[in-house]
Amino acid sequence: MRAHPAVRQALSAALPVMLGYVTIGIPCGVMEAEVGLTPLMAFLLSATFYSGAGQFMMSSLALVGTPVASMVASVSLVSTRQLLYSAALAPYLAGASRPLATLFAATVTDESFGVNLERFAGNGSWDAVRATMVNLASMLSWAAANALGALVGPVLAIPTAVMSFAMTSIFICLLATQGRTRRTVCCAAASVVSVILLKGLGLGSMSILPAALVGIIVGMVVGGSREGREA
Amino acid sequence: MSTGDFLVFYGSVLAVILVCRCVPLLFLKGRELSPRVSDALGLIPPAAFAALVANDLFDPSVPLAWEPIVASVAVLLVAVRTRSLIWCALVGMGAYALLALVL
Repeated sequence: MRAHPAVRQALSAALPVMLGYVTIGIPCGVMEAEVGLTPLMAFLLSATFYSGAGQFMMSSLALVGTPVASMVASVSLVSTRQLLYSAALAPYLAGASRPLATLFAATVTDESFGVNLERFAGNGSWDAVRATMVNLASMLSWAAANALGALVGPVLAIPTAVMSFAMTSIFICLLATQGRTRRTVCCAAASVVSVILLKGLGLGSMSILPAALVGIIVGMVVGGSREGREA
Repeated sequence: MSTGDFLVFYGSVLAVILVCRCVPLLFLKGRELSPRVSDALGLIPPAAFAALVANDLFDPSVPLAWEPIVASVAVLLVAVRTRSLIWCALVGMGAYALLALVL
């Protein structure tokens, strides 16, 4: 099989994310079937929402009969961390056309953000086309896995905790491969402490965005004071 | 959940998701950023991934579970050695499943 080098590079970058999405997409689809989604609906919902956290949350809230308004609020708030990714990726898309930049932006996830950012920062040949291919390949695996999960339904007794730990592991890897300077360590530590405190106040997964903002502020203060001493 | 309710939910959430994903990128793309802003943007990955990991591992409303913590340490070692997402995902799931059986 001879693929264009750019396609090959994009697929090899996307592969771990695609495999991770298959393992958690199936249980996510199983839950969506319990809410009443058909495999086609699960596919379309996954291709457009394209949010593991959001979709797991949707199903678990719907199953306990949560009113629509609070479902919209909860799932929307969990998605607000995308604002940060979108801002962080902006400098690398400066040369891309508006339609391509829009398609890329609309298909960024936690994992593909990490994969693409690492390559944008470290590899001069990484571009918007390859990055968008990573996003779309990951999206197709996510949507297909959700459809499969909705198709087989509860026949498959998968321990969701084990499956969802694949995603946690991917986040740990993405965190561990950030540079280990004093300010990134302080920034990460402040995020962790903030998540625990905010969850203690009952904010659940909505803690992610405010906690990350606290981390960024702490990182900037640490960086600023060091520069101040050196000056 | 009725079909009408579902459509309201789907439409509203999709609109929010698309705004959050697209607006900052399209707005900031191609602009000259001040050093302070690009500095802050560079801190987004460690802040976000640390928050996501902490969100998955800690829930103050239930007693602390040791399996995910121990499995996370294993994943961390693999991450530092290999920098490979796929090995991390596989080792993480394997370690978690094993610990859940043993403990």
